Amino acid sequence: MLISCNWLRELIGTKLSPEEIRDRLTNVGLAVDAVEARGDDSVLDVEVPSNRGDCLSHIGIARELAVIEKSQVSSFKFQVKATNGKTGEFASVEIRDPDLCPRYAARTVRGVKIAPSPDWLVKKLETIGQRPINNVADITNYVLHEFGQPLHAFDLARLTEKKIIVRRATKGESIRTLDGVDRKLDEQMLVIADAKEPVALAGVMGGELSEISNLTTDVLIESAYFDASSVRRTAKFLGLHTEASHRFERGTDPAGVIAAQERCVALICELAGGVATEDALDVYPNPIETKAVALRPERVESITSLQVELDEIKRILTGLGFELRVKEASVLSFTVPSWRHDVSIEEDLVEEVARHTGYDKIETSLPPARHAGEYHSSEERKRALRLALISQGFGEAINLSFTELTDDFDLIPALNAETAPVTLTNPIIEEASGMRRTLLPGLLNSIRHNLNYGIRDVSLFELGRVFGSNEAGTLPLEHETFALVATGGLLEANRAQPARELDFFDLKGAVEAAVDGINLPPLSFAAATIKHLRPGQSASISANGGRVGSIGRLADSISAEYKFRQPVFVAELDLTTLLEVKVQPVFYAPLPRFPAIVRDVSLLVDRTVTVAELSKAATDQSVPHFVGVTFVGTYEGEGIPDSKRSVTLRFEYRADDRTMRDEEVDAIHWPLVETLKERFGGEVR
Amino acid sequence: MPDSVTFAELKRRSDEIYETFNQEFRRFERFSVDRFYAESVPNLIRQLQLEGYSLTAAEDALNDLTTLRTRYTGKKSDWAAAKKLIGRIADGLQRASAGQHLLFLEVSMTDRLENARLSLEKTIKVLRTARESIDVTIPGRRPQPGHLHPITLMRQRIEDIFVSLGYAVEDDREIETDFYNFDALNIPEGHPARDPQDTFYTTEGFALRSQTSTVQIHAMQRRGAPVRMIAPGRVFRRDTPDPTHNPMFFQVEGLCVDRGITMAHLKGTLAEFVHRLFGPETKTRFRPSYFPFTEPSAEVDYSCFSCGGSGCRICKHSGWIELGGSGMVHPNVLRTANVDTSEFTGFAFGLGIDRTCARIYQLDDIRLLFENDVRFLAQFR
Repeated sequence: MLISCNWLRELIGTKLSPEEIRDRLTNVGLAVDAVEARGDDSVLDVEVPSNRGDCLSHIGIARELAVIEKSQVSSFKFQVKATNGKTGEFASVEIRDPDLCPRYAARTVRGVKIAPSPDWLVKKLETIGQRPINNVADITNYVLHEFGQPLHAFDLARLTEKKIIVRRATKGESIRTLDGVDRKLDEQMLVIADAKEPVALAGVMGGELSEISNLTTDVLIESAYFDASSVRRTAKFLGLHTEASHRFERGTDPAGVIAAQERCVALICELAGGVATEDALDVYPNPIETKAVALRPERVESITSLQVELDEIKRILTGLGFELRVKEASVLSFTVPSWRHDVSIEEDLVEEVARHTGYDKIETSLPPARHAGEYHSSEERKRALRLALISQGFGEAINLSFTELTDDFDLIPALNAETAPVTLTNPIIEEASGMRRTLLPGLLNSIRHNLNYGIRDVSLFELGRVFGSNEAGTLPLEHETFALVATGGLLEANRAQPARELDFFDLKGAVEAAVDGINLPPLSFAAATIKHLRPGQSASISANGGRVGSIGRLADSISAEYKFRQPVFVAELDLTTLLEVKVQPVFYAPLPRFPAIVRDVSLLVDRTVTVAELSKAATDQSVPHFVGVTFVGTYEGEGIPDSKRSVTLRFEYRADDRTMRDEEVDAIHWPLVETLKERFGGEVR
Repeated sequence: MPDSVTFAELKRRSDEIYETFNQEFRRFERFSVDRFYAESVPNLIRQLQLEGYSLTAAEDALNDLTTLRTRYTGKKSDWAAAKKLIGRIADGLQRASAGQHLLFLEVSMTDRLENARLSLEKTIKVLRTARESIDVTIPGRRPQPGHLHPITLMRQRIEDIFVSLGYAVEDDREIETDFYNFDALNIPEGHPARDPQDTFYTTEGFALRSQTSTVQIHAMQRRGAPVRMIAPGRVFRRDTPDPTHNPMFFQVEGLCVDRGITMAHLKGTLAEFVHRLFGPETKTRFRPSYFPFTEPSAEVDYSCFSCGGSGCRICKHSGWIELGGSGMVHPNVLRTANVDTSEFTGFAFGLGIDRTCARIYQLDDIRLLFENDVRFLAQFR
């Protein structure tokens, strides 16, 4: 809101420079964003907090400045000179919906001459960015910026039956507003109507029909108090933000209705001629009661730590318009001025005292120690998980929680396939209309973004929540997952060429490194059919026997949708469930004193026989001195039938009390290999 | 009895062998031991290279030298045969003279052979070291590391500071009831913040939390008073994405409720926080403001970390940068969380993690935060 310094000076005769005014106002919570010189005047751009509608005028700002400067807003006189008759003789006012319009005052001026405003008025309005129209319109605008009370002038002759009816619009009604736009009204909007139809949108904008024109001779000046939320709704609904609605939305002064109108009528008589009625037709069926708020002076210190003298507390509050009612020793009771809708409890008064004493006067100290600090119970492990993943070359991504809804993906088991997505009634990005059930589409979008910039080697992970609908009326499911995507080559730092192309096992390795990083028992992987993964390169992942996610190569159909021309590997795991798995305690195991003897064996087996099956079959047999098997490699291709492959495993043997002899090892090794051969129909290569 | 040999014959024979040795050995003569003690290895390498020595030439020469040695001093050499003839000189005096003569020649040969071998071996060693020298400026071998998201880095820094100040880190739901998102925070029905224009709603009528203050209520209900906690997390507001807005962002809210808590403690805590985050010379400024959940309320600014307060592009020439909102917890909020307002007071504050990130890293378009461009992510650590 723009405030003219010269105008302020007329109101309180301040000697402060515009820059000083800027700093003082900012210190009491009226932040001045800019000071701009305009001719012999300076204009302040004041950012008024949304609860301080009373400061949206020059008098409002002057009142704050007066308390700052320990002075007073000068009471200037205005008086309607020529009056004749009662308003009731020329017009009638009826409030049908007093809940939305507690007070409405009308007053008429007859015989005005519509003309351009005098220079001083034009200049004042232009200084604060207002466009002059004609004398009557300009005067209403002037008083709005002086008092903060929006006013409206009707052409009395154009009000059917000279009636003012304040009511909700009826279904199907419409109005052409002053900006020339036809607006459809609904039954929640308050209008000012004459006997026939709406003539103004209450508190928002007047109608074209009753607009002041050069032919206007008699005007009706409206000064009213409208319900803030009703005006807010109408203005928002119609996308019509005006000086009037801006103030009514924040709450105007119900008691100030008449004074502002008097000021307006006096100026009209003075500048546009005409004869005003003697009094206002003031309809105020249920006058708003004055509130009283108690203040225990010691609360100022116990809340803010400021020590403010009792007299100073009283000076600040009375300067702001509060009236001291009861002067008991321990409790002060103040009536709240009618323009202060934001004050209702003791803390509000404490804030008034504190901001006018100065927040900069408040000392700075740390509260005495109380608790030991603590991270979220999962934070330590999440940090370890993140570190494990970045050291595997994965960058951390963050995607929006809302996405395009898709059924192309299998979900983590915690949200089963039937879990409906949580949809939004009011998405901001049209295609992102639901809460994500999987992190994968977001990460795939990220890959696409990078590919579009010519970056083909992309490894990303994300930790975040997925959502799913719950039973009707219950809050949705929220589950934390972590997902990885990788495509392109295995990058080495500061080297142009990737070491090699990534494959399934790089992604699997990263997943294993991640759970290793948080000290969980190893996951198990089993070939599985997963909707979004390519058959033959997809697996389900389990921890402690329960399924927690999936991993594999992205299905060709989805790859095609994203226009990926290179393999993409993806995995998603249920982090909430993984973090519930107990961390294994670590106990020292004595180191072996004698070396192990190893035997590498290449078994030619059907391609369907897995390394896991072979290893398990070997370890399941309790052969003495047999320590275990380790995977060495596989071979397929030349010399191997298509249906087969060669799997090489390393068998390890050790005795606790001696170095084993070769013959001794052979005597247990070969029978063990023989059982594997028999069981899987393999042969030793 | 074999034929006898005369001294003259043997001398002529041995002189002949010695002479051919001398001729064959000439090519090894340039190897002299002395230089290897005088020069430093890099100098030696330079000199050898200047003289045109290559590693392979030196290795070949050593092989040749070995052959030469075998040929002239080996058991089956002519020289060995000649030596055997000494015993066949009949005259004792002549035999002694012949022995002396041959010994003299032999020592001359073996000394020179040995010298040449030592020096050649040294040469080879030096040249091999030169050959095996590496370019130490080639990048080290390691996998390309990934990087944590700048929001994670900032959140962790903030958490570390507050944990060290005795705060607990809390989290809770992201989709909330109106009660936790609004009512409990003293945002009444009809308040602009509740408008679907500003807050996302699910079809079921739940709100995507528009501030992590929701967590404060849950935490106070769980822990009771006194309590000190921060709640970092995702929040959602219906802003159209532009360089300074995202419809989702990260916030951290803090709460301290105890007996005797005043605004001085609020100021002290946030001053300590900015000291640790931006440096000990950072100043704070508190301005009166309005938030429904605090009374009194304050806007918090800190002096620009770039110019120190004199004004620059980063702080828009004001010297100050907005940190966030704060204030003394509104009694309605405390009461909703079953905290006895006659016994306890508290302060609360909130700041944007994304915004702080944007300030610190001088990021002029925060939409980049959620595009996950690897060139962007790799810049933060």
